[in-house]
Parts: sequence; structure tokens; C-alpha cells
Amino acid sequence: MADKIKLFVNGEEVEVESGKNLVDAVSAVGIEIPHLCYHPALGADGNCRMCLVGLEEGGPPLVPACKTPAQEGMKVLLDAEHIRKIQHDVMEFELINHPIDCPVCDQAGECKLQDYYMGYDRKDSRMTVPQVTKSKKLDFGGGVVHDQERCIVCGRCVRFLRQITKTGELGIINRTDTARVNIFPGRPIDNRYGLNVVDLCPVGAMTSSDFRFKQRVWFLKKVPSVCHGCAKGCSITIDHNREKYQDDIIYRFRPRLNQQVNGYFMCNDGRLSYRRENEGRLTQFRLGKNERDMLDVITGCNKEIAHSRKTVVLVSPDLSLEQMVSVKALAEKLGATLSGFSDGYIKTGDGDDYLISDDKAANRKGLEILGIDSSRKSFEEAMADAELLINFNNDLSLSYDESGIRSLLGDTRTIACSTHDDELTGQAHFALAISSYSEYAGTVINCDNVLQHFTKAVTKNNELPDVCAIAAELGSPLQNAGQAYAELQRAIGALSEYQPADIPAEGLNLNDSEAANVTA
Amino acid sequence: MEVKILSAKFDIEGANKLEVAKQHGAYANLDRLFSMEPADVIEEVKKSGLRGRGGAGFPSGVKWGFLPKDTGKPVYLAVNSDESEPATFKDRYILVRDPHMLIEGIIICSYAIGSHDTYIYIRGEYTTQVKELQAAIDEAYEAGYLGDKVAGHDFRVDVTVHRGAGAYVCGEETALLESIEGKKGQPRSKPPFPAVAGLYDCPTIINNVQSIASLPYIIENGADAYRQYGTEKSPGTHLFGISGHVEKPGMYELPLGLPLLEVLEKVAGGVWKGRKLKGVIPGGSSTPVLTPEEAKTVTLDYESMAQHKTMFGSGGIVVLDETVDIVKLVKNLINFYHHESCGQCTPCREGLGWMKKITQKILDGEGTMSDVDLLRELCDNIEMKTVCVLSAACTMPVRSYLDKFRHEFEAYVTADESSVAEAK
Repeated sequence: MADKIKLFVNGEEVEVESGKNLVDAVSAVGIEIPHLCYHPALGADGNCRMCLVGLEEGGPPLVPACKTPAQEGMKVLLDAEHIRKIQHDVMEFELINHPIDCPVCDQAGECKLQDYYMGYDRKDSRMTVPQVTKSKKLDFGGGVVHDQERCIVCGRCVRFLRQITKTGELGIINRTDTARVNIFPGRPIDNRYGLNVVDLCPVGAMTSSDFRFKQRVWFLKKVPSVCHGCAKGCSITIDHNREKYQDDIIYRFRPRLNQQVNGYFMCNDGRLSYRRENEGRLTQFRLGKNERDMLDVITGCNKEIAHSRKTVVLVSPDLSLEQMVSVKALAEKLGATLSGFSDGYIKTGDGDDYLISDDKAANRKGLEILGIDSSRKSFEEAMADAELLINFNNDLSLSYDESGIRSLLGDTRTIACSTHDDELTGQAHFALAISSYSEYAGTVINCDNVLQHFTKAVTKNNELPDVCAIAAELGSPLQNAGQAYAELQRAIGALSEYQPADIPAEGLNLNDSEAANVTA
Repeated sequence: MEVKILSAKFDIEGANKLEVAKQHGAYANLDRLFSMEPADVIEEVKKSGLRGRGGAGFPSGVKWGFLPKDTGKPVYLAVNSDESEPATFKDRYILVRDPHMLIEGIIICSYAIGSHDTYIYIRGEYTTQVKELQAAIDEAYEAGYLGDKVAGHDFRVDVTVHRGAGAYVCGEETALLESIEGKKGQPRSKPPFPAVAGLYDCPTIINNVQSIASLPYIIENGADAYRQYGTEKSPGTHLFGISGHVEKPGMYELPLGLPLLEVLEKVAGGVWKGRKLKGVIPGGSSTPVLTPEEAKTVTLDYESMAQHKTMFGSGGIVVLDETVDIVKLVKNLINFYHHESCGQCTPCREGLGWMKKITQKILDGEGTMSDVDLLRELCDNIEMKTVCVLSAACTMPVRSYLDKFRHEFEAYVTADESSVAEAK
């Protein structure tokens, strides 16, 4: 823990962490210093002038709080008339040339200009002369659409692409009130994190071509979750909504602050992976090609299982720990060989040294911690004389080409429990639709050994069972995810004192707990 | 009233050439300089009371004293030759007519502060000046006054000329540093100050051309000789650029502390065409205007200007006769500062353009009294809320015109259409 220091805000003593600037230091104790250009991940720039505060006794009369380190005994004036006047004046300057097109602006509802207008301005416009006009709906590439008139030239986007991705596609050209953000001619935003500028933009200047005009943000339900796009497991917020007479669908993923995992950002691939939750889903239960009731298919599966002399159970490395525990219990009950083989999920060379991992599996650490064998050798050996394969959503097409799958499966009968309706599911003898990670609660461990819990975000009109429920139907002694979690607590000592809801939002770093805690 | 210290060689044919300059004493004091301790040089400059001639008037020796000791980093000297303030035309004379005085000053300053690399930041529009300056630097290198061993002494001084690309704001010292570093010329937040973290994050002293050019005289003749001129708190001489409605506009070297009106009469020949005086801009366009009444009591030094709620500035005096339309003057003034705002800080970026349009609206005869009030209020709302003082360089004079000549603004508001058309 950082050292604590005491300083005064509006004459009241507050205790804050040392080593922070004033904005962050007092925000931690619930005092807001309005700011537009400052962002903790990008450092202070000091151009918006919204965070100017007064200092009593020594020091200059006005300082930008973002650039001023919190110091012992400092006397900060925030709620003073002249400071409120500055906040109002800066807002007035920000707004005189702003189009104020909130009714058609995607940012409306999560716009700093709106928030600060209500908080610090609330005056009628005194602008009686023509506004500065600039360019609109500029395609910056990478799915970013820019409106120069809405832009307040805070430079967050520019700094992000210079400091974080180091690709530098954006710059501010011209000066005075013709200053504007732009790309270099013919050099669009071209990096795998570019869409973060949309989140970073405090106003509606940077919009995502993917999300533009799809939803008003105040209709969106916002649920914290974990991205399943790769092994990094970035903390995200799932923004979803059920429009009248429609199904509950996801409109976007946004990064959720987690200093232990992804900081403030996430990659474009992960961000857009929400589409896979909406599209291409398996929603049926099938015997062969024929749709049947779930119970009919389960009954068929159980008969198949009873007849099988050798069964292989394959799990996806994307399943939650609870699901893996359930499936493991099922395999033990059936005397089946359990495998987590998923080499195909690893795209060597695709990752980087920032957030993107080579491994596209969300919970490979879970396989390891639960001692589930993932080797190709043992999987293929088991498959050689297997009569039945029960596949829990492991996408074999990532690991094998078409002929490879054919020779792997041979005459083996298959039960496919799947979130998505693909060719393999179509060929399965039994197909069971299961819920995907936005539709169940669960726990995953990322590549850095950080365990995160996520809750159920989406409730489909046609709710699908999750893997735990299917495993139970097929014979697992664990009846549901709750029982599986209790089992998990026995396996992972670090979890013993946590109920799922108590796991901290930033997750548990298992590297911090003793390795001996893992007993599986 | 005129004196010839800085301008001693200005009228000598060919004094920009090393040979001629040397005949008239250039580089004569280097042996003496290197026999002194650097600290003694700083002390002598402190004693001379030389104040920064860029406009702010900060004591040069004191500024040098802010350099941190033993940082292990190089110390840089940046010479501010951006001379972009409207009505200012003093440094250009030094650059063209006596560049070796500047180079000698650079050697003195470098030795005093322990710097080996100097950057002269010169405004891009100064094409003749940059040519002359570079020629002089080349000569100085060839003659051994610059380079690894300055005049045979074991001290290296290298000088690089860096041309600006046409931005007034690059005269602001930290924007100047950004520009030298190859970045967009935008002022930095202070602290840290350049003396601690300046060019390439190293300790840096930034001085105006005229400040540096004053050093050879001080080293040659001593602080006391320099103090013969000027006042106790504003010692020495200054190159004044007198322009506007006077009979004899031009650049004059004068000791500080002379009465303004006397200078205008005796040196510049008084207001032209027998007209009456309407106002005086005392030190470049960014300084608040003085009314004829105020001009009566003001003297040309930092203290008297401050007492009259204006600034000494750059010594660029502009005389306004009775025919000047103050509203048009203000429009022109705001035009300039609006155009030159770097666009970094919100109040300056958005506010100056707003002020410009309001003034135009008033000029067009469409203004109201509340527009005049708004214009006045915006001066307060913008000023000192920004990283640098460019916005204040606009709002301070505009406020002074609004306060001292408000009736002219009101006349535009109340005038009927025909008289406005006439005024155009």
C-alpha cells in the first residue's frame, strides 16, 4: 500500500494516497475534480483547463490538478466561487463551437460534455456569432468514424496511439480553433487496439462504425464480465438490451478497468467477439438431423452412453471452472477418458507483448489446475478405439482439417454439446444446444493466473442449459454450477474463503497464493 | 538622448563582417573572459542588473542561477530570436548589423553557465537575417571563435541556427524548445521550468538576442559602467522600435528610464502631421495601451510601466494618432492572436475566435451593448487560465482598449446604419 498523506479540500481534511496527482488522489475519496483531457492511462496533458483548482498558502493561485502531485498539507480550493466560475467558463468555451447534436449523437448518455454541463455549467448559450465548422463522419479506418466538430481537441486519442500502441496514426493539425484531429493522408488507423480511442474520447467525436446508431446507451444493460477471446481474459462490460418483441442481444463489449489484467483497454478482436454471442448459435436439440425435445435427445444420449464400451469426453478450454469440474465428475462417473486437447486454439505468433495472447482459449489454466490431460497423444490414443465422443464445445476444426477430423472420428458416435451450429455439430449423432458465457455465471483463470468470476449477463427468450446442467443430465453427480463451485473450492485452496459473488472485481491472483493451495 | 552601446557598430559599413567587427573591438574580451571564473561572470551580470530583453524583464544573472548543479546532463543555451511580437523590430538589427556581438555574447553566456551547445531559434520569416547570421557564424568558426577551442582556450562552443516555421507562439520559451526538438510548437506546462528540464529534458537557459548581445559590453566595461545608464532597477540601455504615427519612426537605442513623451518628441519627432495623440502602445502589441494622460507621467522602464498598469514589453512603441479607429485596431489585434493561438488550451483556442467574431459583429454595426460587455468579460474568462501567456497577450491590451475607449465601441453599437457604412 502506498503511504497516506493528509491534505485539505475546501478546508476539510482528507486522507489520500501519496504519489498520485490531485485528480486521482481525491477521486479515491469521492471528490470529483472535473477533467476532460486527463486520463490515468495516458498521463496528464493539461490542455482542457477544466481541472484548474486553487491552492491556498504559497504556490501559484491556479494549478491544473492533473499535473499537480498531491502533497502533505496542501490546501486545495475546489468549491470556491472563482473555481466554479472557471469550470463554467471552460465549459462555455468547449460548447460554443460544439454542434450540440446530442439527439443524434452516439455518445449522448455517456458524454463528459453533457455530464459537466449539468454539473458545472447549466447556463444558456451566449453564442450569437457563427460557429466554426469542420468535417464530419470522417472514416479514420479501423472501424473509427470521426466528427471534428464534436471534438474538443483533448488529444486522448492521439496520445493513446502514440504512447500505448506506438503506431501514431492520429495527429492534431492546424492551430487555434481550426485545430483538428486527423489521420495522415492514406494512413488510416491500423492497429489491433484502435477502437479504444472510441472509449477514450470523452465526447462523441470518436464513434465506432460497428456500434454507431444501433442503440441509445441509456437503454443498454451493463454487466461486468470477462472476454473469452483469448487467454488474457480482459475484464469487460457487456452492454446488452432486449428490444420490445425481440431477443436479448449484445450490442458491444467495452473494456472494464482491471489493473491486474488489462488496465483500461482491450483489443479490437476481443471487443468485436460479442458478435459471436449473437450469431451462428445452436439453439436446437437434434437427433441426427432432426430437431427433438431436449428430453428426447438427453434420453437418446443416455442410451448411447450406456451402450458405449469406451467413451471419450472432450472439454473446451473455454469452459468455466465450474463446467470443467462438472464434466470431470461426469467422466469419472462414466469411467470415460477425459481430454482437454485443444492445440488448435493456440495461434502461434498471433499474440503480442501487450494484451493479445497466442492462446485463444479463455481457461486453459483451468484445465491445468484441474489436472485435465490436454495432450494430443493421449487424446488420439483414446479416440482410436472410442465408441462414443461426448464433446463439450471443443471446436475440433481448429485442431484438425476436414480429413483429419474424418479419420479421428471414424465410426465413433458423437454427442455434441455446442454453443454454435457448425458443420461438425451438424454431423453429430446427437446435438445439444448450450448456453454461452454471456448467458451463464462462471469462473475462469487467465494466462497470468488471475482468476476472475463473471455473472450472467444475457437472458435469451429461449434459455439454453449450461454445460453443468447437461453434464448432470448425462450422469454427473454434481447437479449444478453451485455444487461444482463447492467442489472447486476444495480443489483451489485460494477459493475456500470466497463465494462467487465475493471474488474481487479485479480477480484473484493465484500467483500470490501458495501453490500448495491447489490440490487437484 | 540616444546612446550607442548595443548599436555602436550598427552604422559602420561592413560591421557584420568579422574583419571590420574585430577592428571595432569584437572578440577583444575573450582572454579576459576566460581568466575569470564562471561564477564571477554570473556575479558581474547580476551586478549589472541586466534584465531579460524579450519582454518579461527577468534579471538574466538570476535566471542563470536557477540551473541545477552537477546533474550529469549537458546544459543548453537557446537564444530566442523569434522576434514576432507585432511592433517589435530590435533583434533584427543585431542579427544583420552586428551578429558578432551576439556570437561573442553567446560565448560569454556559455562560459558562465557551462554550456557547450547553443541553438539560435530564429523566426522563419527572417530570411535576410538568417543568411547574415549564418555567414557570421561560419566566419566565427573559421576564425576559431566557435568550435572545439574558443579563441584557443580549452572551451567548446557550438552554435546551431534553427529556423522557425512561422508561429508567434514559438517565441514562448517552452514552445521554442518543442519546436527545436522537432515537435509541434506548443508551450509546455510549467513546472518543470526549462532551467531544470528544458531542451531534450536537459537544463536549458533561454535568453533573448538583445540580452545576450548586451553581455560583451558588460564584460568589457564592468557592471558599473553598464549601470551608468538607466535607472536603479532598470539599468542599461534598450533598443526601442518606435513606429506608428510619428514623424521619425525607427529603431533607437536609449537608456531606460526616459520620459515617454519626451522621447516621442525629441527622438521620434512627435506625432505626425500635427495631429493629436490618441494613445501609445508602450512595448509591443500585447502591452495595454496608455492614454495621452497616462503617457504624460510614464517613463521607459519596467517599474514605471507596471505602475501605469501596463508593461515595458519588448520596447516596441506604437504611437496612435487621433484618427485611429480603436475598434478596428482591436479587431486587427485579436485577428493576430487568434491566428497565432497554438490551439492547445480550451479558453485560448475557442475564446479568441469568439472575441474576434464579436468584434467583427460590432464593426458590422450588428453589435449590442451586451456584446461589448461580453467581449470585456471574455478577457477575464480567458486570461491566465492557460498554459502560456499568449491568451493574456491578447486579453490584456483588449481589456485596456475596452476600458479606456469604451465609447468608441458603444458608438458602433448605437450608430445608425449610414454612419457605420461611412466608417467602413
